[in-house]
Amino acid sequence: MAPGPSRRLLANGVKVVVQEFRASEVVAVQLWVRAGGRDESATELGLAHYLEHMLFKGTTTRPRGFVERDIESAGGRMNAGTSLDFTYYHVVVPGRRALDAIEMLTDIGVNSVLDAHELELEKKVVLEEMRLGEDSPRRHLARRLYERFFDGHPYGRPVLGTPEIVRGLTRETLMSFYRRHYVPESFTLVVVGPVNPTEVLEGAERTLGRLPRSRASRLPVPSPPEVVPARVELERPESQAYLSLGWPAPRADNAETPVVDLLAAILGQSRSARLIQALRERDPLVSSISAGYSAFEAAGVLSVTAQLEAVNLRRAEQGIVSEIRRMRSAGVTPEELRRAVTAAEARHSFSLETAEGRAFLYGRAETIWRLEEELAYLDRLRSVTAEQVRLAARRYLDPERYVRVAFVPRGR
Amino acid sequence: MRPSSRFVLGAGAALLVIGSVAAEADVVSRHVLANGMRVLVRENHGAPVVAISLQTRAGSHFETAGTAGVTNFLQRVLLRGTTKRSAVRLAEAAEDIGGQLDAGADVESAHVRAEALARHSEALLELVAEVVLSPAFRPEEVEKERRLVLSQIRARADSPFQAGLDGLLRALYGPHPYAWPSLGTRASLERLTREALVARYREIYRPDGMVLAVSGEIESKRVVKTAERLFGKLARPGGEGPTPPPVGEARTVRRVLERPAHQAHVMVGYRGPGLGDPAYPAVRVLTAVLGGGMASRLFVELRDKQGLAYSVGALTPYRTESAFIAAYVGTAPARLATAEASVMRELERLRTGGVGEPELARAKAYLLGTLAMDRRTNARRAWYLAFFEVVGAGADFPERYARAIEAVTGEDVAAAAARWLVHPSVVVLAPPR
Repeated sequence: MAPGPSRRLLANGVKVVVQEFRASEVVAVQLWVRAGGRDESATELGLAHYLEHMLFKGTTTRPRGFVERDIESAGGRMNAGTSLDFTYYHVVVPGRRALDAIEMLTDIGVNSVLDAHELELEKKVVLEEMRLGEDSPRRHLARRLYERFFDGHPYGRPVLGTPEIVRGLTRETLMSFYRRHYVPESFTLVVVGPVNPTEVLEGAERTLGRLPRSRASRLPVPSPPEVVPARVELERPESQAYLSLGWPAPRADNAETPVVDLLAAILGQSRSARLIQALRERDPLVSSISAGYSAFEAAGVLSVTAQLEAVNLRRAEQGIVSEIRRMRSAGVTPEELRRAVTAAEARHSFSLETAEGRAFLYGRAETIWRLEEELAYLDRLRSVTAEQVRLAARRYLDPERYVRVAFVPRGR
Repeated sequence: MRPSSRFVLGAGAALLVIGSVAAEADVVSRHVLANGMRVLVRENHGAPVVAISLQTRAGSHFETAGTAGVTNFLQRVLLRGTTKRSAVRLAEAAEDIGGQLDAGADVESAHVRAEALARHSEALLELVAEVVLSPAFRPEEVEKERRLVLSQIRARADSPFQAGLDGLLRALYGPHPYAWPSLGTRASLERLTREALVARYREIYRPDGMVLAVSGEIESKRVVKTAERLFGKLARPGGEGPTPPPVGEARTVRRVLERPAHQAHVMVGYRGPGLGDPAYPAVRVLTAVLGGGMASRLFVELRDKQGLAYSVGALTPYRTESAFIAAYVGTAPARLATAEASVMRELERLRTGGVGEPELARAKAYLLGTLAMDRRTNARRAWYLAFFEVVGAGADFPERYARAIEAVTGEDVAAAAARWLVHPSVVVLAPPR
């Protein structure tokens, strides 16, 4: 087994997490930034994501296209993702190029030129990304659920922004967001692979460690609003219907997250799970159904999502609610709990198979939560009792108060 | 062939390109049971997990238009109960050991795959054997699965990319089985009977056509012993395995499919060589130059320079006969004509203009990196071992293929482009005007 990750706070506020992991020749190097969709004002939606695209468009020393060619010519990969709470840039390269990758990520992290011509060109690409999302019923369903669920809160906004705002984006707005948020205090560097941790730390000191402190502090995310039960129905071109129900759940740093993870697993994350057995197997009302729990820095969502024939929408919703009532009153069996814990253990073991799988877990935990908690997570999960799961069902799954979004085939 | 042998894969000096050589020797043991079933084991002590891939030489390649999807349907029904256990008990048994159990069929092979914590590897092998050797085919379970597969077929038609790709395969392959997805078609799935599934089962579960591959924290001797106990009694039938029909001649086709959506899609396809063809590695390199990665021609020209698309690229699959080469782009309906012309221009440039040294090196490294990174997990490694063994290429195909990729020259790519990038099939998905 690999030794656990070590964590170091540099003098200027940059955090470094490094783990020596020799399962393959590949090192994962990730730069996590504490800036995401929720840091935008209502008039600058889509800025964090747009900036993520622009960081691939050239720095003061690397012309556009250089980074991709360089990484791919070593057989490596690079990409990035923007979420509500964070943005991250991830690279996998041969282990010997770990220090180059740290230098490159530092460069795009603070020296990107945000060229005005490139900025205009990339708007078209992001508009295509929006169209692609609209054409995917599942992605669009999640978007619509969050929009209603977090009505008026930054978590309810579209990470990609809106076409109008993106068309009007200027270099000044983008540059000001970049200067404000891409600062040492926002950065976490994560390196996992066949590396010498001391060399990685020295490499980080020479690059990210030399950036001046900004003394800027991130505005705290407001508390989410009380969820107002709502029913939304939209027509779509697909031939099948989609249904999503959402309930408020604990945020990432809450002590109850392992309990809610198990609750979601028992409800709908495996073939033997309750909703799958009740609505897909015993009474075939849906063609697929699952439960999910998403924990953000300031809020959480428990959701149930199904794909089904439109005629079954009403009965399927009743079926979900009646399974929830049953869970609230009778709780879960010891076998169900044991299976859910075993599944989580297995999932965890499999996610640790690759360097980037590990780096993602560490980076996310360090950015929106705490690394120590992530490392102790399985132990906390194993100590959860059936009674705790039942109480969590009573606390979080109100059978009368939830947000419901349905997509129905057009022209029904 | 000796009944049991060990071969060492990918040893050599470390380079600065991922996948050009493995970081350390990877030992795979190969054993053939008395009834002809092959067992491949890769011992890997990196994580306390084990993954199994059991594959048979079957899949949509061996189907007819009337039986399209029968192999995948059969595989899904295998998970719906055995003579010992109902569907839900089977699922619970897998989950009790932290396991995932899944099955399906692709174009060239049918698979059962399973993963679990290593301490339960014996139980996992038993579960896979139970699913494969004693399926119950309960009529009500067959009907439930039929309904689910039909719904997957509809969801596939609802996805623009999948619908476009399916349209392209129909245009490219006409009456050949490569023309339909391994899920089958609505018409065939509505008609397939339980008897057809049972007949298919008897036909494809013959030990000389089965490969069991295991990767993870497990001893190969133990796997072989357990496999002998579980599968050794499976009788070897007479006769040959199935033979698919030949692929006919390529034609130039252009089709427009109307569908309401925010984006329009252009798919351009060609018939390429099969994976045993000497030109296959050059075709993979050609496809990577064209549309593999963010430094590929399509990405740079259509996305970075023209802003025509968010998703754009090219792909070619592992096929034993004629692997398609496809380029795709999703764009705003108003820019459809520009996008189509740009894709065709890049294809023509590649067909006639050759490739430069740096982009050749990038494309080769990109392919080697993709292969190496895809083979890091136990589940994928088990799949690779079983797949290439069962299709007849040999479990060491990936290593030979990687060496062949490294050896591809600019002339090889130019020759492959001139030979294979002819008779394009074009499928356009666009909203009604």
